[in-house]
Amino acid sequence: MLSVQDLTVSLGPATAPVDVVAGVSFELAKGEILGLVGESGCGKSMTSLAVMGLLPQPGPRIRAGRVLLEGCDVTQLQPWQRVEAGHGRMAMIFQEPMTSLNPVRRIGDQIAEAVRVHDRVSGPPAMARARELLELVRMPDPAMQLSAYPHQLSGGQRQRIMIAIALACRPQVLIADEPTTALDVTIQVQVLGLLRELCNRLDMAMLFITHDMGVIAQLADRVSVMYAGRIVETAGVEALFGRPRHHYTRGLMDCMPSRNSGARRLPTIAGQPPAPGTVRAGCVFASRCAAVREPCRTAAPPRAEVSRGHEVLCTFPLDDGGPR
Amino acid sequence: MNGNAVLDIRDLKVSFKVRRSGRKYQVRAVDGVSLSLAEGEVLGIVGESGCGKTTVGRSIVGLVRPDSGTIGFKGRDMTGAGLRDMRLNIRMVFQDPYASLNPRRAIGDSVAEAGDINGFFTSRAERSAAIAAALTAVGLDPSFAARYPYELSGGQRQRAGIARTILPSPSIVIADEPVSALDVSVQAQVLNLMMDLREQLGLSMLFISHDLGVIGQISNRVAVMYMGRIVEQAATRTVLDDPRHPYTRSLVAAIPKPDPSKRILGAIETGEPPSLFKRPSGCAYAPRCPLASQRCLVEVPELRSVGDRALACHNV
Ligand SMILES: Nc1ncnc2c1ncn2[C@@H]1O[C@H](COP(=O)(O)OP(=O)(O)OP(=O)(O)O)[C@@H](O)[C@H]1O
Ligand SMILES: Nc1ncnc2c1ncn2[C@@H]1O[C@H](COP(=O)(O)OP(=O)(O)O)[C@@H](O)[C@H]1O
Ligand code: SF4
Ligand code: SF4
Ligand SMILES: [Mg+2]
Ligand SMILES: [Mg+2]
Repeated sequence: MLSVQDLTVSLGPATAPVDVVAGVSFELAKGEILGLVGESGCGKSMTSLAVMGLLPQPGPRIRAGRVLLEGCDVTQLQPWQRVEAGHGRMAMIFQEPMTSLNPVRRIGDQIAEAVRVHDRVSGPPAMARARELLELVRMPDPAMQLSAYPHQLSGGQRQRIMIAIALACRPQVLIADEPTTALDVTIQVQVLGLLRELCNRLDMAMLFITHDMGVIAQLADRVSVMYAGRIVETAGVEALFGRPRHHYTRGLMDCMPSRNSGARRLPTIAGQPPAPGTVRAGCVFASRCAAVREPCRTAAPPRAEVSRGHEVLCTFPLDDGGPR
Repeated sequence: MNGNAVLDIRDLKVSFKVRRSGRKYQVRAVDGVSLSLAEGEVLGIVGESGCGKTTVGRSIVGLVRPDSGTIGFKGRDMTGAGLRDMRLNIRMVFQDPYASLNPRRAIGDSVAEAGDINGFFTSRAERSAAIAAALTAVGLDPSFAARYPYELSGGQRQRAGIARTILPSPSIVIADEPVSALDVSVQAQVLNLMMDLREQLGLSMLFISHDLGVIGQISNRVAVMYMGRIVEQAATRTVLDDPRHPYTRSLVAAIPKPDPSKRILGAIETGEPPSLFKRPSGCAYAPRCPLASQRCLVEVPELRSVGDRALACHNV
C-alpha cells in the first residue's frame, strides 16, 4: 500500500545539507496501524509531512528517497496531481485541532468544504455527507453539531471533527501526528478506540505518530522507534515490548513511571539527543548508550533482521531483553 | 485535620466571571476543597483538564483570590495575605518553564529573583555563590547563570525553573505539571531530581498532574479532583491499586498501559467531559457515572472517610 524508501529530509544549503530525517524506510499494509514513536525533535513530524507532501516552504526538502503509494512515487507529483490521482489518497490529522479549524466557520461548512473538494458535490448532498461523517466519528448529536463553532466543542470533539474532515477524501492511508497528546486520558482512550475501529471498518492504513509508549502498546500492530532522524528498531508490537533489541528502545521503556513498580528512582537515559547533523560517524545513540563499545563510535551500525519482521540498527543489539 | 500539617486548606472556593456568547457566567473553578500537607509529604492532585487543579495551586501562592475558605501555613491563616515569609516559603513550579523564566533575563537573574525582591543577599559575591549552588543542586553547571532561556533544552529549562524555586530554600513547593511538557527520558531525570530535592531540603510538595503514572511515582498521597471538588483521597497505592470512586476507576482504567497484552481500547466507557457552564445539580459526575441513582441527581455527595480513604459518593 504505502512504501517509504530511504526518505531523507534536509535543511540548509544543498552544498552542506543537515539531515533531520536520514534514510527512513517503512512499509504500511492495507488496514494496518504502524506506530512511529520517538522523543521530540527526532524527526517524526518531518517524516509525516514529507510523506504527505506538506513540508513547509521554504525550509526542509526531500533530498533523497521515495514515497510509493500503490507503486506510484508521490514525491514526484505536483499537489494538484495528488488530488487528480484519485486513487492516491492520503489524509492527515494533527495534535492541535484548533490550529487547523477555522474558528469563525460552522463545522458543518468546514466538513462540507472537504466533501466538495473530493466528491465534487455541494449544497444539500455535501451537507448530508458531512452529517454521515459526523456519525462515522461517533459525534454525539451530529445534526445539531453541524451548526456549532469550533470553540463550542471540547478538545476531544474537535479532534473528532478533524478526523471527519480527514475521512472526507476516503483515504487509504491516514497519517495521525500526535492526535491525542493534548487530550485527557479518559478522552484519549475514546479517540484511539475510534481510530482503530475506523481502520478496521474502512480497511484504512494508519501511520500513528506519538512519543507515548503506552499509546503505542494499546494501538499499533507494528512499531518503528525513531531516534535522531533514523528508525533504530521495527517490530511487531508484541515483540517490541516483550523483547526490545535496541538499547534506546529498552531505555525508553525503563524510564516510564508506569513500568517502574515502586522503585524510588527512575532509570534514566543520560544526556540528550544530538542536534541534527552533529554526529559525523558511528552510531547516533553512542553518546547516550550504556552498552557503547569502541566500534560504535567509528562504524555506522548495520541494519539487521534479528528475527522475522524484527529489525534493529545496532552493532551490539540486546539479546536478553527478555520478557519483563 | 492534621496536627503537624505545614499547609492546611479548608473549604476553599474560587469562582471566575466569564463571558460566553454574550452571556455572563460565574464558573465555580474550585468548589469547597479541603486538604492538608504534612511535613516532608508529597500530595498529588490529579484530574482532567479544567477540574481546578491549577486554581488550587494558584490560590495557595496568592496568584488568585479565593471567594472563601482558609489557607493555613504552619498554623497561621494567611488567606489573601502577601506575607513576605509566606512568599519565600511557598513557591511554585510551572508546566511551561517559559512562563517563569523571563526570556530577556539571564538564567542566573531569574534564579535569584525571589531573593533579590526580598533583600535576601547581602553582597554580590554571596548572590553569585547562592545562584551557583542552586544551579548545581538541580544538576546544571554554574556557567548556566549567564545563559538565556532560548539557549536551553526543555529539560534544562525545567531544571532552571526548579532552581528558581529553591533559592532561598522554601518549605513547600507547588509543582503544577512540572514534567508534562518533557519527553519521557527527560521527565525521568526531572522527577528523580525533584525526589532528591525533597529529601535534601526537607520539602513538602503539592504535585499537580493529569498523569497518574507520574503521580504514582512521586506522591505519598493522592487527591482526585472532579469539577472543582475532591472526590477521593488516600495513600497513592490505595488509589492506584484499588480505586473506589467511579471517576477514579475510570481514570485508572484509561491509562494507556505500555503492555500490548493488556489492551483496553473499545473496552471501557468514559463518557463526555463536563462543562463548567452546566453544573449538574446533584453529583457532578452523575451524567458519566455507571452507578448513578436517583439520589445522585439531587444530592451532592460530601467527602467522608471510609476506612483508609476519603470518598465523595452515595453508592460506593
Ligand atoms: N483567570 C481565569 N478566568 C476565567 N476562568 C478561569 C481562570 N482560570 C481558570 N479558569 C477556569 O477555571 C476552571 C479550572 O481551571 P484550572 O486552570 O484550575 O484547571 P486545571 O485542572 O489546572 O486544568 P489543566 O489540567 O487543563 O491545567 C476552568 O474551567 C478554567 O477555564
Ligand atoms: N520548519 C522547520 N524549519 C527548520 N527546522 C525544522 C522545522 N521543523 C522542524 N525542524 C527541525 O527538524 C528536526 C525534526 O523535527 P520534527 O520532525 O518536528 O520532530 P518531532 O516531530 O519528532 O518532534 C528538529 O531538529 C527540528 O528542530
Ligand atoms: S551501535 Fe553501539 S552505541 Fe549504538 S545502540 Fe548499538 S551498542 Fe549502543
Ligand atoms: S454519587 Fe452517584 S453519580 Fe456520583 S459518583 Fe457516586 S454513584 Fe456516581
Ligand atoms: Mg512533532
Ligand atoms: Mg492546570
